[in-house]
Formats: sequence, C-alpha cells, structure tokens
Amino acid sequence: MGELYNRLADDIRFVESLKACINCGTCTAICPAAEFYNYDPRVIATTVQSQDDEKIRELMSSDAIWYCGECMSCKTRCPRGNAPGLLIMALRSVSQDMGFFTESEKGRQQLAVKRTIGDQILASGYCVRPDMVDPGMHPEQGPVWDWEHKNLIPVMNKLGANYNGEGSGALRKISQDDLDELQKIFEITGGQERYDKIEEFSKEKAAEMGLEFGTDTNSEYFQHIYTANNQKHNHE
Amino acid sequence: MGKHVVVIGAGPAGLETSASLAKLGFHVTLVEKEDVSGGHLKKWHALFPTLLSGKDALETITKGLDSSIKIQTATKVTGLEAVNDYFTISGHNGWQEKADAVVLTTGFQLFDSHRKEEYGYGIYENVITSADLEELFASGKAFVNRHGNKPERVGFVHCVGSRDEKVNNLHCSKVCCITAVKQAIEVKQLLPDAEVFCFYMDLRMFGRHYEELYKEAQEKYNIQFIRGRLSESTEDRDGNIVVKVEDTLLGKPLRIKVGLLVLMAGMEPAPDTKPLANMLGLKNVSDGFIQPLDEVLHTNSTEIPGVFVAGTCSGPKSVSDTLADARSAALAVADYLKS
Amino acid sequence: MKLEGKRLIWQDYQKEIADDHYFYARSCIRQTFFPGAEAVFVKILKDELGKDIHDEQHHTSCTGIGYHSDVVPFDTTMTVVARQFALMTEAGYENYAASCVTSFGLYTEILDTWHHFPEKEAQIREYLFKATGREFTKPKNLAHASDIVYKFRHQIAAKAKYKLVDKNTGKPLKVVEHIGCHYSKMFPHKGIGGAEYPYVLSGMIEAWGGEVIDYPERRHCCGFGFRQYLVQANRGFSLSCSKKKFESMEPYEPDMIITNCPGCPMFLDRWQYALSEMEGKTYGENHNGIPVFTYEEVAGMIMGYDPWEIGLQVHQVPAEPLLDKIGIPYDSSRKFKGKNGEDLGMPESPSYLKFYSE
Ligand SMILES: Cc1cc2nc3c(=O)[nH]c(=O)nc-3n(C[C@H](O)[C@H](O)[C@H](O)COP(=O)(O)OP(=O)(O)OC[C@H]3O[C@@H](n4cnc5c(N)ncnc54)[C@H](O)[C@@H]3O)c2cc1C
Ligand code: SF4
Ligand code: SF4
Ligand code: SF4
Repeated sequence: MGELYNRLADDIRFVESLKACINCGTCTAICPAAEFYNYDPRVIATTVQSQDDEKIRELMSSDAIWYCGECMSCKTRCPRGNAPGLLIMALRSVSQDMGFFTESEKGRQQLAVKRTIGDQILASGYCVRPDMVDPGMHPEQGPVWDWEHKNLIPVMNKLGANYNGEGSGALRKISQDDLDELQKIFEITGGQERYDKIEEFSKEKAAEMGLEFGTDTNSEYFQHIYTANNQKHNHE
Repeated sequence: MGKHVVVIGAGPAGLETSASLAKLGFHVTLVEKEDVSGGHLKKWHALFPTLLSGKDALETITKGLDSSIKIQTATKVTGLEAVNDYFTISGHNGWQEKADAVVLTTGFQLFDSHRKEEYGYGIYENVITSADLEELFASGKAFVNRHGNKPERVGFVHCVGSRDEKVNNLHCSKVCCITAVKQAIEVKQLLPDAEVFCFYMDLRMFGRHYEELYKEAQEKYNIQFIRGRLSESTEDRDGNIVVKVEDTLLGKPLRIKVGLLVLMAGMEPAPDTKPLANMLGLKNVSDGFIQPLDEVLHTNSTEIPGVFVAGTCSGPKSVSDTLADARSAALAVADYLKS
Repeated sequence: MKLEGKRLIWQDYQKEIADDHYFYARSCIRQTFFPGAEAVFVKILKDELGKDIHDEQHHTSCTGIGYHSDVVPFDTTMTVVARQFALMTEAGYENYAASCVTSFGLYTEILDTWHHFPEKEAQIREYLFKATGREFTKPKNLAHASDIVYKFRHQIAAKAKYKLVDKNTGKPLKVVEHIGCHYSKMFPHKGIGGAEYPYVLSGMIEAWGGEVIDYPERRHCCGFGFRQYLVQANRGFSLSCSKKKFESMEPYEPDMIITNCPGCPMFLDRWQYALSEMEGKTYGENHNGIPVFTYEEVAGMIMGYDPWEIGLQVHQVPAEPLLDKIGIPYDSSRKFKGKNGEDLGMPESPSYLKFYSE
C-alpha cells in the first residue's frame, strides 16, 4: 500500500465507495459518461483496488477521472455496494490536493470551475445566479434566455423573485454577515485551501504552457482550459 | 433395529435419504408440506447436462422408495423439539411424531425475481425466469413470448439474486450457469434463427461435461457469451426488452434489444429452514443455509447429535449432488443410531 | 407493461413526510431559471393548503454544485449544510424542505455519513461552532419539495380547475416524468417509490389526470453532469444525454415532460432548442418541442394560475400547445410584458423551433 492509496483511504467517501470490486461492469453499463466518453468506471474501481501507487498516480493525472458526471446511477446498481462515482470524488480531491489535475486537459478545467461556481459561492452565497449565465458563454440557452438576461430585473420581479432585494425570497441579496460566515467556514474546513491550491497549481501550469494566467475568466489560460477539446475523449 | 427417523421435506434430497434409510432398515416418515412430493424437480422439464427428463428422473428416484416408508404429505412441519434422547416433530395440521433422529431436507426457494427491481420482472411481460422457461418447455406450447411473437433474440441473465449484496445474497447458486447454457441450447433448438445471448460474470462449469456443453453451445449453437452483469432492462413500444450491459472483455457498454429475457433466478434457503433450525438451536450461517458440523469432513451432521441435513438446505446443489448428499446422510444417520 | 408490478414496488418505498411547518431552503438553480416555480410552491402551500412555511433569508447555497464539481471539499460542504440546519433550529423548525434535488441528495448523504461516522458529525459541529458560533439539531423530517407536493397531490387535485386531459379528445395527456438522479439513486429508501420506479411525480400525474409514459431511457440522467455542463468544452456530454432521452421518448408522442430537479427542466428545455438549431430536429409535431415543466408549475397550471405569472414564458420550448390542449386560457399579448404591462421587447424567434408571441 502506497502513500497515495493511503491518502485515498483517509477519505470517508472512499471507505463508502469501494469494498471489493468483482469487475462485473454493472456500473459501466448504466454510466452516462461511459456511453459518451472513453471511460469505464469498472476500470477505475479495479485500478484503485490494485493499490498500486504508480497506477493510481497515473490515473489521477489522466483525463479518465474527470469524465464522470457524478449522477450516482452506479451506486444504485453495484452488486458489491460500491459507488464508483463517490470513488471518483475521492480521486479528484487527492488529485487536486497533490496538483496532478493540471496534467490532463480535463483536469485543468478545475480552475474554470473554481473561478466560476467556486468564486460565485463565496461572492454571492449562490452557486449560480442569473447574471452569471452569460448568453455569450451559453449560446445553448437560446433567445428566450437572452431576452430574460437583458430584462432580468423586470422579469424576475414579475415572477415573484426578490432579485437582489433585502429580506427573504428567491434571488434575494445574501447579507455580508452571512457571506462572512461562509468565508469563515471555508477557511476553517479546508475549502479556501482547496481553492488556493487549484489556483497555485494552475498558475504553474499556465507558466509552463506559456499562457497568461490572470485572475478572472478572461485570461488566456482560463479561455484555453474552458474551451480546449483535443477530440480524443470519445469513442470512435 | 426399530429406530425411527423423520425426514422433513420430500424433494430429491428427502426422497433419496428416506429410500436409503429404509434400505438400511430404519422406520422412516417423510413429511412434505405440499400435496405431492418431488420438490423443485417436479418443475424441471429437462436436466442438465444430459437433458434427462425431469419427470423420468423423479420417477426413478421415487421408485426407490420402500413401501415401509410413511409419506406424510400436505403437512408443513412447524415444530421441532429435542427431548432427552428423542425428537418431537409436529406439523401445522396437528400431526405429530417422535423420532430417534431427524433429517432436514427442506431444500431451497427460488429467488423472487421481483426483488431485482431494475430487471422489471412482473412489470415487463417479456421478462421471465428460468423456472418460467422450464414451465414453458414442459407445456409443449409454441415457443413465443408474452406478446405472441417468436423472439428474434433471447437473453439469459446470470446471477439473478445471487452474488449480489443488493439483495443480501452473497453466495453463488451454483446451478444457474449450467442451467442457462442448457436452456440457451434448448431455445436455439426451438428457434434456430434466433440470436441467443448469455450475460455472465463468471461461467461456473463445475460438473462433469458442463464445460463440454458450454463449448457445444458456442460451437454448435453459436450462442453469444457476453461477460458483463446486466444493469437494467426496460421495455420499448413493441414490448421488446432493452438491456444495458457492459461487454467487460471489450470494455464497451452495450444496449441490446431482445424479444425475451430470461432471469437465472438463484437459490435461497427455503423459508422454513431458518425457523426450524432455530427451534433446535442450530446455527445458520449468514447466508441462511444450514451450517453442517464441518464443511469439508462432516457435511451431513450438525452440532446437535441426531440432527442431520441433506440437499440444498445446506447450500446450492445440483440434483446429482443432492442425491449423493442424501445417500451420505443416510449413512451418517445409521452411524449415529447404531452407536 | 403491468402497472400492478410497479404498485407492489411502490408499496416498499413509502416515506414519512411532515404534514406542516416546513423550513424551506431554496435552490440556486431553480431561482435562477424558474423562480416562478418556487413562488408557486410557496403560494400553494400557504394560500391553498394553509400550511406554515418558513422562507429563510440567511441560508446560502449548500455548495452542492461546487461539491459535485469537486472544487468544494466534503468537510466544507458538510459544515455549510450544518449551518443551514442551525438556521432551521434557530427558527424553531424541525422539518426541512429542500427545493433542490442536489441539496436533498446531499443532505441525505451527509445524514447517512454522520450516522455511520459519528466522529465526523462531532467534528463538523466543532467546525461550525468555531466558524459561526452556531449549533444545530438535525432535522426530524427531511423532504424534497416534490415529496410535499406529492403528499398533498389529492388536495391539489380537489382544488384544481384543470386536469391533465386533452380537452378535445377527453383522453389523459401522455406525460414523461423525469426524476433528478440524486433524488433516490443514492438512497432508494429516501425517495417515494424508490430508485427504479420513482413514484413521486407519477403519483402527481395520476392524481391530476394524466398518463405516465414508460420509455426505455426513463432512468437516464438529463446530462447535467456538473462539470460536464459547467465547462464549455464538455457540453457535448450534456447534450448527448438529453438527446438520448428525447429519441427514446419520441415514439410515445409525449404531450409534456415533468421534472422534479432544478437543473433537469432547464437542460431538457434548452437542449431541445440547441438540437433544433443544430440538426433541424424537433421532438413534437409541427416544429413544436415537447414542453418541459417543473412539478410546481404544473400544479400552478392546473390550479388555474396565470401562465405568465408562474413563468411559463421563460421556457424556450413554448408551453402554448399544451395550454391549448388542456384548455387553459392565456393572453399572448402579455406573454413577454413586465409585471405592470411594460414593454420589454421580445425574444428572437429560433430558426426552427416554433415560437409563440402575440
Ligand atoms: C431454475 C432451476 C433449474 C434447475 N435445473 C436443474 C437441472 O437441470 N439439473 C440438476 O441437477 N439440478 C437442477 N436444479 C437444482 C435442483 O432443483 C436441486 O438440486 C434440487 O431440487 C434439490 O433438492 P432438495 O430436495 O434439496 O430441495 P427441494 O427440491 O427444494 O425440495 C425441498 C422439499 O422440502 C419441502 N419442505 C420445505 N419446508 C418444509 C416444511 N416445513 N415441512 C414440510 N416440507 C417442507 C418442500 O415443499 C420441497 O418439496 C435446478 C434449480 C433451479 C433453480
Ligand atoms: S458494479 Fe461494482 S463490482 Fe461491478 S465493476 Fe462496478 S464497482 Fe466493480
Ligand atoms: S456517478 Fe459517474 S461513474 Fe457513476 S454512473 Fe454517474 S457518471 Fe458514471
Ligand atoms: S452458478 Fe453462475 S449464474 Fe448462478 S450464481 Fe453462480 S455464477 Fe451466477
């Protein structure tokens, strides 16, 4: 048993997600990610089960652990009570804590998630807010969203939301006191540290790739990781 | 000798144990809860690996019964008590007897496939069990699915209710792999143009000529063996069953449409086994089957002198295993009663 | 398909749902895309059913989307959730009602984790106290908002003005129900009807007069996949999942889709638009799509609430064909107007998917 395996084993979700795998493919058969990507949760389970640190390191540095959609369909079905989706969460955590995530195209995207969803949580208390779903970045949202986005205040008002307002209700402004508590929780529980690590490791990678890093979503590195797709992820 | 033995359950195990005990000179009462003896064997059309008719097999086994054996049918044993050096056995209908030894041959129960919810048994008409299929074979009716069509594709799902912690059955039911191979061949014989698939995790071809039958299934009948456990089945508009399974040898998730899906339902301990064992203070292992004194050396004795087991109540077995086990149980009983 | 088979399974998965006095936690995604749905939920519970529902102003995101896109560690998420529980405790409530399925799944997972690892719960209590000085009691009853609507589905039916019935043919509407993955796939016993044949929406559809369609990809994920949608390069995953579902349900000619998860209706709505633009393909007749609704919206519709008050105009797949089928009146000229009738312009018409305006 190596160090990486031990780190994984420290994660409660790991304990809950992998007892003994019989390589049966029940998880893969139902996995939406396996249908779309070159991905096989069964192989993830058996690789980790080997307890071979070299293989686990390779896994954590690869695209493979980033394909899962965390739908947990696999948890319902595994005849051994495993949950590859949870196992993936443990792998992703260690991969980010150790910096392996920047070694793969899909892994590098974590910075994009951090700078959008991650930062939004601390800034506004919401993981998603309507003003954040920019029609330019989200053309699939369609013309109705485009219209709504242009008219956010009156539309939200019409639909009974308390958009950016005081007090309770949908889309209310979350008070600074509440945000401060959230920030404090992040600091005490390792959330902030995770954010910082994602930034640090990504910064190193950006330097290595010769891309401007910046601090927002307009930087070269952000734009690169947000859109890059080498087209090698899918089945033939 | 004049010693009296009560055998509980008149399936292959109970029948053969009773026959052997009678031949050895004991008084035997064979108690059966159903109106007719024969246990599960009554339901099987043809037996692996030789396709011997189940009916003929049962007839032959029953022929071995001595006229001295008292067969007490329609009596479900509900009470078992060890009193000094004998046992009192009582049935639900007031029947009661004393015996110097007891043999438990309560057998197994077929896993209730409704419990594998994701396979849709009891919901989608064209999902049936291996036992349903035996019935269909035995009926001699035209081989059509529940929509009245000749299925172009038939799938067999291994390990239904076995090797599955989701339904609390960790054990392997032992006979369903070879049963699937047998049934797949029979389907192919009836529908030579059909494509037949077996979805398995491991093929457990443990008996004489089982592997040969498997090879024949591949070579002669072109049955497709796909290594992967079925994840779910659903129904399409035409009543076909769409299954999701991974071909784990290719590492590819598959969707296959079949006209009939057969679930290889496994064996669980018969429902009465545990309560009866508990009345005597016998240990059941966690899987619910009775634990013999020693799984290698003393497979018919239990930790209670005078209480014996035979057949599938101590774990999944084929008919031939069961019969051999029954004869060996009779010798163990004789050994005990002689001393 | 034999419905009795499903009914037997449904019996095994009943869960207790509190009768009144709910602490309501809103959903980020629901508020962003379908705020009208939450408004309808509160209105029905309060005004129609006379229930007490506490609309907490201090709660935040549960961090669920961050957690499931792996930027937020489990300890952090658990502590944020513990804070929500503390707010509930402080407000004097013990029945937690989550608007979001991701949240609901997360709460369930966390309570289960604490059950198996009490030392974890103790540690989280410490974190929370250290960070905020707050303490909490765990909810006595945890429900997803759809559980609550399910519980009162017959009362709602009794007050409803309309049924999920085609007014011209008198036949029940054919309804696709889509359940958010995290509602019961992780903990089947925490969802009404379990994981394989969830009954929570089917029960509403039956009670409100519709007919549920069972199609092969019923259990497939809508394709959110968290990071698979959040990052532009991955969106093919999301699209392909939704498409698989549409293709699978199309032969059944569904009149509508009802969902219980905040994200799913958005994806199932928007991807129909995207597919129509990309492939010129629509899944309803005459260039119409299959309208997608939240269960709250459907409850509001049958109660006879104004379609534009509950937000049906912010769906990209127009609701009008369905409203016409049921016979629900609407004023097209007010569809894209503001609250007091002010002119807000109008969305552009998609190239392929039918557009309805005045
Ligand atoms: C689908 C399927 C197909 C099979 N096909 C084959 C095959 O082709 N070849 C083969 O070799 N094997 C086959 N088998 C295995 C075979 O059925 C068993 O080996 C055999 O039935 C075991 O006999 P038994 O007497 O132990 O149990 P059982 O057959 O279960 O008999 C037990 C008897 O005990 C009775 N009983 C239970 N409780 C009580 C009570 N409280 N009081 C009174 N009576 C009671 C029952 O009513 C029953 O009659 C198959 C099994 C399955 C599931
Ligand atoms: S379903 Fe479970 S046992 Fe089977 S391959 Fe997946 S993780 Fe392993
Ligand atoms: S949780 Fe991940 S691995 Fe499991 S089925 Fe969903 S996408 Fe596949
Ligand atoms: S015999 Fe085969 S089908 Fe039956 S439980 Fe064992 S492995 Fe599964």
